[in-house]
Amino acid sequence: MDKKMKETILNPIFKGNPITVLVLGICSSLAVTVTMKGALVMALSVMVVTGISSLILSCLRKTIPGRVRIIVQLVVVAMMVILVDQILKSFEVTFPIDKQLSVYISLIITNCIVMGRIEAFALANKPIPSLLDGLANGAGYGMILLIVAFFRELLGSGTLFGIDILNRFGYVANNLVILPPFALILLGCIVWVQRSIQKDLQEK
Amino acid sequence: MNTNSNLYTVIYTSVVVVIVAGVLAFVSQSLKDRQEANEKAETISQMLTAGGFGTKSDFQAMGNAKVLETYASEISEAFTVNTEGQKVGDLDLASCQVFSPKQLKAQNYNIRDGKAFAIPVFVFKNGITVVPVYGAGLWGPVWGYIAFNNDGVSIHGAYFDHESETAGLGARIKDDPSFQAEFTDELADFSSANVFDIVKGGAPKDENGKSVIDNQIDAISGATMTSRGLDAAIDTWLGAYSAYFLSTKGQGNDSNAEKED
Repeated sequence: MDKKMKETILNPIFKGNPITVLVLGICSSLAVTVTMKGALVMALSVMVVTGISSLILSCLRKTIPGRVRIIVQLVVVAMMVILVDQILKSFEVTFPIDKQLSVYISLIITNCIVMGRIEAFALANKPIPSLLDGLANGAGYGMILLIVAFFRELLGSGTLFGIDILNRFGYVANNLVILPPFALILLGCIVWVQRSIQKDLQEK
Repeated sequence: MNTNSNLYTVIYTSVVVVIVAGVLAFVSQSLKDRQEANEKAETISQMLTAGGFGTKSDFQAMGNAKVLETYASEISEAFTVNTEGQKVGDLDLASCQVFSPKQLKAQNYNIRDGKAFAIPVFVFKNGITVVPVYGAGLWGPVWGYIAFNNDGVSIHGAYFDHESETAGLGARIKDDPSFQAEFTDELADFSSANVFDIVKGGAPKDENGKSVIDNQIDAISGATMTSRGLDAAIDTWLGAYSAYFLSTKGQGNDSNAEKED
């Protein structure tokens, strides 16, 4: 059991990473990775949403009528996303970041990772493993987000978490890095690195 | 139990939806005050930034309570004006009453449709007057605050915000201090329909790089639609304020003349 638990937690972070291996959640990972702060808040929000909705739906899994299963999932996920958005708007610290992320917080609901993990895992497993699976997938997504945001903020604005790193040395911010296509290029590089480490992912 | 019967399905979904609605309504109600406080402090910090009372990051660092405190200590009067530039109502200073972007949107429709409007004017103790502008950018609304010096025609500073303009392009109306700095020392032309121009391809400049035409500044490259939207917003709103500024501009000149005497 312990080994299985460990597998549940570690698999989504590297071997079965939702972005680089399953290629889910690409859209938001291009949009919210301009700054580290934004990426961090987005990563945490997605973790909370995937984790808690997996937990709730796993608790309900035996009672959900099969025909309306997707609708029930949507309702629960939508509730979690709205809750997260409302809470982010309510605190002085997170309010500006919520403003910056604007629609992408509400768009977590369309993030394939959330529904994908509920369908594939939560509806077939007990609540605790489902919670861990949700959190771990959120973390795997968040990790990629933070790696991409690290390069984009550093090269695109010369800062990290808003703190000046390169600008003091006369660095001229690269506008290409700010634009979404560069996030895709970076993602490609991450997939490349991962595939060269993890040979079994390569197609014959 | 048969979880696939119609009755079960209907009852189940109804119960789930009612519970979810209840939770959301409860959370929304209990967090409403905090959210409104945040939005109000944001609006006030944007006005103060336009007025040159500090930078946006200063205000963000100081927290909501301090922002409201700064506003309360600097504001002299806040009121609404109509088409003729006459005062029609007062905004409560003690509670730091301001116009939220939503309220600006409602007035924007009134201005656009030629209806009666009541738009806010904020006069600070140091003579700076801050007025809002509101309009449509590329993806969503853009709005902002323009601060005029005591003479009622030269611009002291400006701050703009948007809902969903493209990061790195249109979003620069908010994020790029050099764009906002262009407004400083420009003169609004309240007697023309083109009160202020944001010029694609750049405003004419002298050899020192200073804009030679008083009411023109450079648009943002790569953000033509946002720049146009903002230009229209500024023209519409400053146009709506022109009666007010034309009447107070006279007063401003008078007081200058008295000083010279």
